[in-house]
Amino acid sequence: MNIFLHELKDNRKSTIIWTLSLVAVVVLFMALFPSIAKDSEAFKKVLENYPESLRKAIGMSLDSITSLLGFYSYVFTYVVLCGAIQAMNLGVSMLSKETREKTADFLLTKPVTRTQIVTAKLLAAVVSLILSNLVVIMAALVAAQAVSERSFDTKAFLLISLTAFFVECMFLALGILISVLVPKIKSVLPLSLGTVFGFFILNMFGSVIGDKAVRYLTPFKYYDPGYISKHQTYEIRFIVIEVIFIIVAVTASYFIYAKKDIHAV
Amino acid sequence: MNVIELNNLTKTYGKARGISNISFTVEEGEIFGFIGPNGAGKSTTIRTMLSLIYPTSGSATIFGKDSVKFAPEIKKEIGYLPSEVFYYDNMKVKDLLKYSGSFYKKDCSQRIKQLAELLDLDLNKKIDDLSFGNKKKVGIVQGLLHEPKLIILDEPTSGLDPLMQQKFFDLLKEENKKGTTILFSSHILSEVQKMCDRVAIIKEGELVKVEKISTLKENNHKRFKLETKAPMPQGFLQIAGVQNLEIDGLHVSFLYSGNINLMLQKLAQLELLNLWIEEPDLEEIFMHYYEKGN
Repeated sequence: MNIFLHELKDNRKSTIIWTLSLVAVVVLFMALFPSIAKDSEAFKKVLENYPESLRKAIGMSLDSITSLLGFYSYVFTYVVLCGAIQAMNLGVSMLSKETREKTADFLLTKPVTRTQIVTAKLLAAVVSLILSNLVVIMAALVAAQAVSERSFDTKAFLLISLTAFFVECMFLALGILISVLVPKIKSVLPLSLGTVFGFFILNMFGSVIGDKAVRYLTPFKYYDPGYISKHQTYEIRFIVIEVIFIIVAVTASYFIYAKKDIHAV
Repeated sequence: MNVIELNNLTKTYGKARGISNISFTVEEGEIFGFIGPNGAGKSTTIRTMLSLIYPTSGSATIFGKDSVKFAPEIKKEIGYLPSEVFYYDNMKVKDLLKYSGSFYKKDCSQRIKQLAELLDLDLNKKIDDLSFGNKKKVGIVQGLLHEPKLIILDEPTSGLDPLMQQKFFDLLKEENKKGTTILFSSHILSEVQKMCDRVAIIKEGELVKVEKISTLKENNHKRFKLETKAPMPQGFLQIAGVQNLEIDGLHVSFLYSGNINLMLQKLAQLELLNLWIEEPDLEEIFMHYYEKGN
């Protein structure tokens, strides 16, 4: 419990900054919606002039972009991207920061098992992400209601919003796994930015070529807003893949960390 | 009862040298020195005992329990002060010590206050703002606040001024009187001599010898360096107790163990320009032990 609270406190500052940034992204983007909705025909014409592949790459769909959910789905791509970086940062730094800041000797000579340490830190990271998501989703909902003149499907809106957390969980797990596999991580941000953007570019690439196999490779493609708003549910096979991935990655991380030598600084 | 028992403890790294077949025991209530030059494997041994790293073969038993299997249980009664102290920089000293104390199921606040006062440590400062010496004090308090039965110190005195060192040694002796066992690793012979009952000498990852300090003092070696007016006669210093004799023109140096008076009488026969008598450095003592081994 003491490690959990300590860790939560340690995450506080970065969680607040990430949350505020995400809220800003959502609110600023949503503020553009009224003008787009007003001149929807003109806007669609402009978009038509763009090459189709570019529209696909940035996730714009002509049919839905002028509806609130469609526009939100487009904005949401970037929320998920930022959230993924946030989660990956948390995951990579969780265990590696003790080595980097040379505090591992302090923590690991206390009467706790390494398993307990990982559990406490993992819980703190998940709680940080949950809190961050709650605030962002609430801000998004308020912003959406403020800019939308017609009523919209709130359930679909929330279902889409929740997927940010699902994607974040995957990157959190991936981050932890990387942090126990790489012997010495000098700085976290380049690593997490590189990984997350790698998957994001794969996602854009997949949209352009329309290859179905790519969907399985990048978490950014697991939860398609179009499918969610149409069916009011998620595609079950991707949930299964996600759960399996997380279980494997986290279990492996526990195992590797428990066996790992903690070297002197 | 043996508080520490190392049985052929071996740790090998890919390329770097580790430790091989280290075996010794430390009894309850002892202050046990662990001495060797930098990179000899002192820290590796200690880190293995604390299961920060895991042995390649052999084992360490602490309080009669295997150090890997029962690690969390054993650590309840261990206080550890690493050679370089690093703590969460943005925490206050007070909060860090409270956090440290929260791992043990007892109230440590009184003890923290008492130790901080003794060591003259400001509890309200941020760790980041502390000097190296003051960080070391945080380390000391952190290692002692739960009144452990075994204190493990890895080169504890670096960064402390002589006055503070003395206070620290007094504190350790006081703990020792209460029955606490202390493992004291150092590369400084004099401080080990001052504190310890027995020492283990380690070099290049291997245990050279475990010896009582009193015995170590008996084969007290001195390094003699002298400058003579005329070249020294051949075979002048061929007497028992002289080692590593080096003659370079008018400069002569050697290690001597034995009756100092005899040596001085001998040297009085020479016409000297200069004379130094020094404590040999560790390296030389180790050389001595190696020669003995062969």
